[in-house]
This record gives sequence, C-alpha cells and structure tokens, in this order.
Amino acid sequence: MKRMIMMILMAVVVMAGAVHAAPKKDGKPDGGSLSYGEYGRPATLDPITSNEMISLRITELIFNGLVGINEKQELVPELAEKWEASKDGRTFTFFLRKDVTWHPLEGEAPKPFTADDVVFTYKIMMHPKTITPLKVRYEFIDTVEKVDDHTVRFTLKRPVLNALAKFSFKIIPKHGPANPFLTRDDRFVQRPIGTGPYMFKAVTPEREIILAANDNYFKGRPHLSQIAEKPFADQNIMTQALMFNAIDMIVLVNPRDIPEIQGDKRFVLKTYNALSYSFFGYNVRNPLLADKRVRRAFTLAVNRQEMLDSFFSGQGTIISGPFAPGSWAYNLDVQPAAFDAPKAIALLQEAGFTRGADGFMQKDGKKLKLSLKVPIEKESEAVKRVVLAFKNYLKNIGADIKVEFKEWQAWKEDVFLEHDFDIIFASWVFDDSADISSLFHSGEIGPWKNNFGGYANPEVDGLINESKLTLDHEKRRTINRKLHALLAEENPYTFLWNLTNYAAYRDKVRRVAIHPYKFFSFADEWFMEAKDQK
Amino acid sequence: MTRFSLLIGIMMLVASPVPAADDPVQKAMKAYEKHRYEDAGRDLRAALPLLEQSKQSPAQLTLGMIYLRNAELHRELAQVSAAVNADYLRRLAAERGANRSRYSDLYLGLALIESGKAEAATSALEKFFAASEDAKYKVIAKIAMGTAASLAGDSQKAQELWSGINGSDPEVKTELAAAYSRAGLQDKDPVRLCDAALADGRKSGKAISIMAVKNCIGVYGRAGAPDKGFDLLSRADLKSYFYRDAIGKSKVLTFYDVQLLSNLSVFYFQASLAALEKASADQQLKGFASYYLGEAHILAGNTDQAAKATATFLASPQMPPQYKNRAMVRQGAIQHQKGKQSEAIGVWDDLIRKQPGEPELLADILIACSWLRIDCPRVAQTSAAAVESGDGKRFAILNVGLGRYALGKKDLGKAVTYLETGRDKGNKNKIESNDPLMLVNLSDAYYRTKKFSEALEIYFEMSKQFPQVRQIQEALQGIYSMEHKSAGDVKIN
Repeated sequence: MKRMIMMILMAVVVMAGAVHAAPKKDGKPDGGSLSYGEYGRPATLDPITSNEMISLRITELIFNGLVGINEKQELVPELAEKWEASKDGRTFTFFLRKDVTWHPLEGEAPKPFTADDVVFTYKIMMHPKTITPLKVRYEFIDTVEKVDDHTVRFTLKRPVLNALAKFSFKIIPKHGPANPFLTRDDRFVQRPIGTGPYMFKAVTPEREIILAANDNYFKGRPHLSQIAEKPFADQNIMTQALMFNAIDMIVLVNPRDIPEIQGDKRFVLKTYNALSYSFFGYNVRNPLLADKRVRRAFTLAVNRQEMLDSFFSGQGTIISGPFAPGSWAYNLDVQPAAFDAPKAIALLQEAGFTRGADGFMQKDGKKLKLSLKVPIEKESEAVKRVVLAFKNYLKNIGADIKVEFKEWQAWKEDVFLEHDFDIIFASWVFDDSADISSLFHSGEIGPWKNNFGGYANPEVDGLINESKLTLDHEKRRTINRKLHALLAEENPYTFLWNLTNYAAYRDKVRRVAIHPYKFFSFADEWFMEAKDQK
Repeated sequence: MTRFSLLIGIMMLVASPVPAADDPVQKAMKAYEKHRYEDAGRDLRAALPLLEQSKQSPAQLTLGMIYLRNAELHRELAQVSAAVNADYLRRLAAERGANRSRYSDLYLGLALIESGKAEAATSALEKFFAASEDAKYKVIAKIAMGTAASLAGDSQKAQELWSGINGSDPEVKTELAAAYSRAGLQDKDPVRLCDAALADGRKSGKAISIMAVKNCIGVYGRAGAPDKGFDLLSRADLKSYFYRDAIGKSKVLTFYDVQLLSNLSVFYFQASLAALEKASADQQLKGFASYYLGEAHILAGNTDQAAKATATFLASPQMPPQYKNRAMVRQGAIQHQKGKQSEAIGVWDDLIRKQPGEPELLADILIACSWLRIDCPRVAQTSAAAVESGDGKRFAILNVGLGRYALGKKDLGKAVTYLETGRDKGNKNKIESNDPLMLVNLSDAYYRTKKFSEALEIYFEMSKQFPQVRQIQEALQGIYSMEHKSAGDVKIN
C-alpha cells in the first residue's frame, strides 16, 4: 500500500515513567488477590502451542510482544521501545528495551531479555516440528536477524496490511524450551517463563493456576499481588461461586445467568469480544459429508432460532456465514438459510439418498450414520440440549447422529490431530482482523491445524490468497464479502449464532479495562483498595 | 415503565367489543411498547379504514405517538449516519491512484450537507463535478451544490445552479424536487415534480429507486402529504445502496445518501403532527394529544406551538403525575429556548426540590439539557448520587439520562458506563428490551471509543426492524476494516 511505502520512520519513545523494578506511579495501592473462573482448563500455558481462549488469556498475563495495543486501540511499544519501517514496507527494525528481565527461576538471578530471544521465538515458531497455528500467520516473514543485543530486523516477503500489529506475538526466552522446537511434551508449556506482569507460580491439586506479581515488571509492578485461574466444569456452579464469594470474576458469563448478575449491585457486568460464533463443523474426509448438498441439507434441517430461543433465552444472533455479526467482514446481504426440513430431504434425495425401512436415509447400501463429538467440559445443560436437538432435527430428515462426549484434551486430539470425527460442535473466537484463512484454506489441513474438517475449495483458496496479498482495505472487504457468500452456500460448517458475551466481576476490583480479545492486556493496572484486599 | 401508564389511560378510552388481542389499536400499542415502530404504524394504518368511528381518534393518537418516536429515532440515526459516513468517505476521498472512486467525493459532499458543513460540502462536490464524466451524477452534484449554497444563505447562487437543469431523468427530477422543497420553494411545486417522476418510473416498469424514495419522502413530508409518503415507503427497499462502483475485478464500493434518514425523520415528524392534530379534535383525547403535540412541536423546532400545546396539556385534569413532570420539564426547555435561562433552571430546580431523587424526573431534565446542549452540573451531580444509592430497574432510566448527557458532553467513558448500566443486558441488542434511541447513543459512544464490533452488533439487530440503518452499518464496517490493529488470531472456545 502506498501509505505503507511512504512510511519512512515510525519511532515511538518509551512510555514516560516506566522504571525498572519500580512500583507504578499512579497512586493506586498494591496488594490483594483476584480469583477468576474459566469454563474448562487450559491445555498449555505457552503462547506458541496454544489454540484456545483459556490459554490465550493466561499467556496475556505472563508474556509480552514487541508491540502492544492500548485501550484506545493504538499500537504502543512493549518489548521494543521504538521501531523503523523501510519505505517499501518490507523491513522492520525493532530497538529493544534494555531494562527487561525474564521471570527468574527459583534460586536463580533474572536473565536479561535480548535480541536472541526474539530471533529464537520466530525460529521455534516456524520450526517444522513445532505444532502451532501461528505458522500461517507469519508466513509473510522472510528473515529475522539480530543486529546487536538490543536490535532485531525482520524482512518481509511482501508488504502486508497492518504489518506492525502482527509483531504483537509473544516473545519466549531462549533458555525456556528444552529444544529448538516446541511440543506439548516440553516442560516449558506447563511451566512458562515470560517478561509479563505476572509470573507462573504453581498449579494446585484442584488444578487452580496461581500467578504472582512480577516485582521487576518493566512497566512497574502490577497492583494486584496474585491472580488465580480456577477451572469449572459447570457454568451454573461457576456463577454460584461468584455469587457466594468463592471467586471474584467470570471472564465469560453464561448468557442465562446475566439477568441474575445484572440485578445485583455487588457486581459489574462488562461487555467485550463480540467476534465469536458457534457452529457444527463437518469432516469432509467422510464421503457422505464431502457432498455439499448433504451439508446444506443439514443446515436447512436445523431450526437455529428455535434452539437459540429455547436454550439460550434468545440471547444471541443467528449468523449466515463465517464471520461474526460485529465484524467488518460480515456480508450483510447474505441472510441465514431458513429452517426448511422438506427442502433438506429433497436435497438428500437429489444427492442419491433413499429412505430405508428403519426410516433413515441410505446410499449405496450405506446408512447415513454419523458421529458428533462434543468436549465434555462443554457439557453444560445448554450445550447438551443443543446437540440433542441437532440429533433430533437430523433424525427428522433421516440422518442418524451418535453423540459422543469426550474429555477436552481427548476431544482436541480426535478433532485436530487424528481427525477422527464426522461432526463437531464448537465455537471460534476472532480478533478484530476476522482472519478465516486458517479455518478454510486447503493449506491449513494437517495435524493441529485449524482446518480440521479437511475442507478444500480452489475458489476459496484463491480468494483467501488474494485477500492476503492486497494492501487495499476496501478490496479486502469486497473479497471477504465474496468468501462469506461462498462459504454460506458451501456449508463446511452449519453456522449457528453469536452469543451475548459479558464478563462479570466484583465491584471491589477497580479500573477494570478489558481487551476485546485477549482480555487481560491491561490487568497490570487493575487494583483493589486496601480495605478490599483479601 | 411509567410511560405506558398513559397508554393504559388511552386504552380505557377505547371501549371495545373486540377481544384485546385482536384490537388493532391495542396491537399497535403493544408493538409500540416493543419499539417496533415500523410494524406498529404499518399494521394500524392498514386497519384504519375498517375501524369503527369511535376508534378513529384513539387510532390517530396512537399513530401520532408511533410516528413521533420513529421521527425522534430517525433524527438521531441521521445525525450518527452523517458523522460516521463523513468519517468513512473522507478516508475514501483521501485515497489516490487508480483504485480510487470519484464517487467518494460526491457522497462525502452529500454527507457534509447533512452535517451542516456547507462550505466543505461544496468543495467535495465541486471536486466531483470537475473530475467526473458521468453526466447524470454531475447534474446531481450540481443540484447538491445549490442546496449547499441555499444552506449557507446564498439563495441566489442556489437558484443559478438549479436553473436550466434538465429534469427529464426521473431521478434527477426528484433531486430537484427535494432541493426546492428543502429550500421552501413551494412555487416550484415539488410535490408535482415527485408525482410526475414516480409516475414516469412506474411506466418504465422498473423498481422504484432509493434515490427517488429518499427525495420524495422528504417532499411529501414537508408538504403534509403523509398518505403519498406511506404509499411510497410501502414499495421501497430502504436498505438499498445509492450507487455501486466496481473498480477492477475485486473492489466494489457501495455509496449511501445520508439524507434518506433525515428525510424520514422530517416525514415522520410531519405525519406525527398530522395524526395528533386529528386526535386532538376529539375532546376526550385533547389532553393526551396535546402532551404529544407539545413534544412533537418542540422537537420540530416550533417553540410557540410547543408552548401552547404543553399548556393545554397541563391544564387538563387527571393527567398522570409523571407526564405532568415531563411537560413541566419541557416548559423549562421552552423558556430556555426563548432566552429565559434562569426561569428554565428555576422550573427544574423547583421540580427537583418537590420530588428529590425521582429518577424519571432527573432523567427528563438531563435529556432536556443534552438536547439544549447546555451544562447542568448540579442536576448531573444529583443524578449521579441518586443512581449510586438507588437500585433496580427504576433507576435504569436515570442511568440512560446520565449516559445521554455525558455523550453530549463528549465524556465518552462515562457515557458508555451509564448507558451500559441502563441497558437490559440479558437482551442487550434487542429493541424489544432496550429503547432503540438509547442503543443508537450507546453505539455512537462505542464507535467514538473505537469499540467497533460493539457498535456494529447493535445495528445488526436493529436492521431487522429498521433496514435503513444499512448505511450506518456499511460505513462502520469500512472504518473498522481500516482502523483495526490485530494480528489475525483465532482460537477455539
């Protein structure tokens, strides 16, 4: 883009007042402990191998990127105190802070953060043996080089839109992982070392993760002395834990509990992150699901509005395609397909299915029988009802669905590693970029990659490629509208709904600003008055 | 909500042998309570010819109320749309090179007219006029330049620009009609021009264009011809774009004229006044109708008529006290508009002294302050203390009042906090649970604090009842796509 090419120098001075190993100078008290509830457990605690939101939120407390984004949505310095971009937008040089140290290991002095750590992070991310969804996001980087201990230079294969924002990826220490690649077997993924406001301290027998304030944090010691993440297998119990003082915060409130919390002045409800949606995803490796008419029939067979109204009290919005309704990329001209069971049956018949004596559809002697895998930690009442309703809707058109609840980690292995499923029920959460390339591009089929269903369509690939290459915002928007329309027709998923998202917390926690995606980005400034500290 | 106690009063006046659920007036009232103004108005209009005589006046009163709320909502939407579209179009107009659309200058000019920025509008329109080769749209730009001149007080220049324009194209004819109507040139007979243009369009068999709808709805509104306007609206698709510019294979820009929303607001205000005048002819309903007439007149800028209607209402016996409060707050606002600031403050202070901490009263005063664009620090302070100590839904309205006041003062953090507190979060974007006017204010506060997805979510739901918000959605999406700074992350949940 011309604007990018014209960019000669972007230099930002270090934020005033940031002093090594010093308290913040905002006059707010230090101390107190915050315990927050999550629905489920994090699989990993590192920013490279994680692919779910619970891990992302914790890593936001432990790690930093070269750049960050402030509450006004502006790019600000983090580990890099300033940077320069070349005229052609292909070279970015970052000048690193010299006052940053890694969280110390017990009995050891803190190690300094240097350019070696930045180079190491990029290399471990791109290592063929590292399993990470980040590879696709950083394919545009050609080389990275250490200029000196506190200067690092990235050369891009081509200029890209929002290039600087992409350098917000979290930096990990060279002395952290055991190997030049990172897998989930590495001790580092469960005992992370970062530069962030909070340090990993312990995991309790109840699987609670305890983080302690980093006294040496380069932006000043965070106010709260401890943050603890408490996992819950049941959303109702999590809400009760908040009501009865067992936790101070819920990052994502069960929509059904919002009225109860809203009526209680002890709590604050804060809306954030509108960019998520739920879906049934299909494994197109199964020949029965490879036919798009079958997938379309499933979408038409499901009364989404009835499910949303019955199981979530209508607290959400039915969607028509691969973007959330609050996204800039949503195609407003594409309407959600209306519930139409007779048309669904006609489509199955058109695809060669006939009703068998048992009432189920069959083709070439093979019954239309499929597995639906759901992670057990998502086995809330509402989710259970959704999947059972789905089973019944599909039974009405002659498809036999066997629902299997699986333990979270086992479910992820079945879905992302083994691809051993026919249908899944899950949700995606996006940052503002609304980037669906890792979900539907054929290059993203493979172990631990996000295109778990093996969906491949040259037209979709072409549009995604074109979208990545353009430097024109409006062109990218047009391409995304086409993608939306195409994927709404193709039904690699049955796109369901975007639910109402609120965080809830006790009013004793002050100055709470929430990042719309990463959640804890500003948590170092949260505080409690001395009288409210536990 | 107490607002509806008055509706109950109206219902009591409607002696009906028909079961309540089937009564068209009551059905319309229910839709009105759920803020479904378009549905409510359409269904009751359709039922009007079949209603017995005794129900005609209550039906007119109900229609007047529906149109008034719809007018107020559209006025707010028009203001928001003008600001958001101008932001978006400025960015498009600032682009250079082959991928730039010239039409961004034209539509920027049109948006700036709606923002009252005649000089900047003229500059953008002249730029389009000089560079474009599209004869029809050059004429449209020329007409708009005349409107900008007229707004700037140069009616002679406006007349010069409009003279000699060939109005053979039906859409151009409606543009001229709208310009004449807006400038008050009744001798040019804008209604006849619109009638002729729409008849020409009908003859051609083409679907009615959004440009013609935008223009003629304003013309019919100003001319007091609601029936023609409603007929036009019944055939219109209000979410249609005005111009689509395809640049190369993969870039398509859609442009919208912000004036659609301001003309809808004008139209609904006039329709409201007409219906309320009919209702006030009924002695039984005169008091109720006067209350709303006073509100409609003050919102339409007719201070004297507002004062008269409000006085009539206050003289009526047995009116609900909260409506008396609201009417007296309005009287204060009228005094203020007439330059009697101390009298206005005196009226409000007196009301607060007699009913300390009354949330609806405080909210009404704050909203009046916000509307008058004046500082009311003592009322704001008292209100903030009241919501701090108060509890429950009763104080939701005061939180909304504080939020609107803060938004007017550009204190965006406070605006979001108060409006969110007043929002029914269980159904956060549903107009049935939240006043759409409040949602528009909240969306505006989110937009200005760059929480674009929150702003867009609100319009996504609202578009189901008010498809004309598409122009705001598209502009918001455009700005969001340019502004966001994210790495491209996605996670399973």
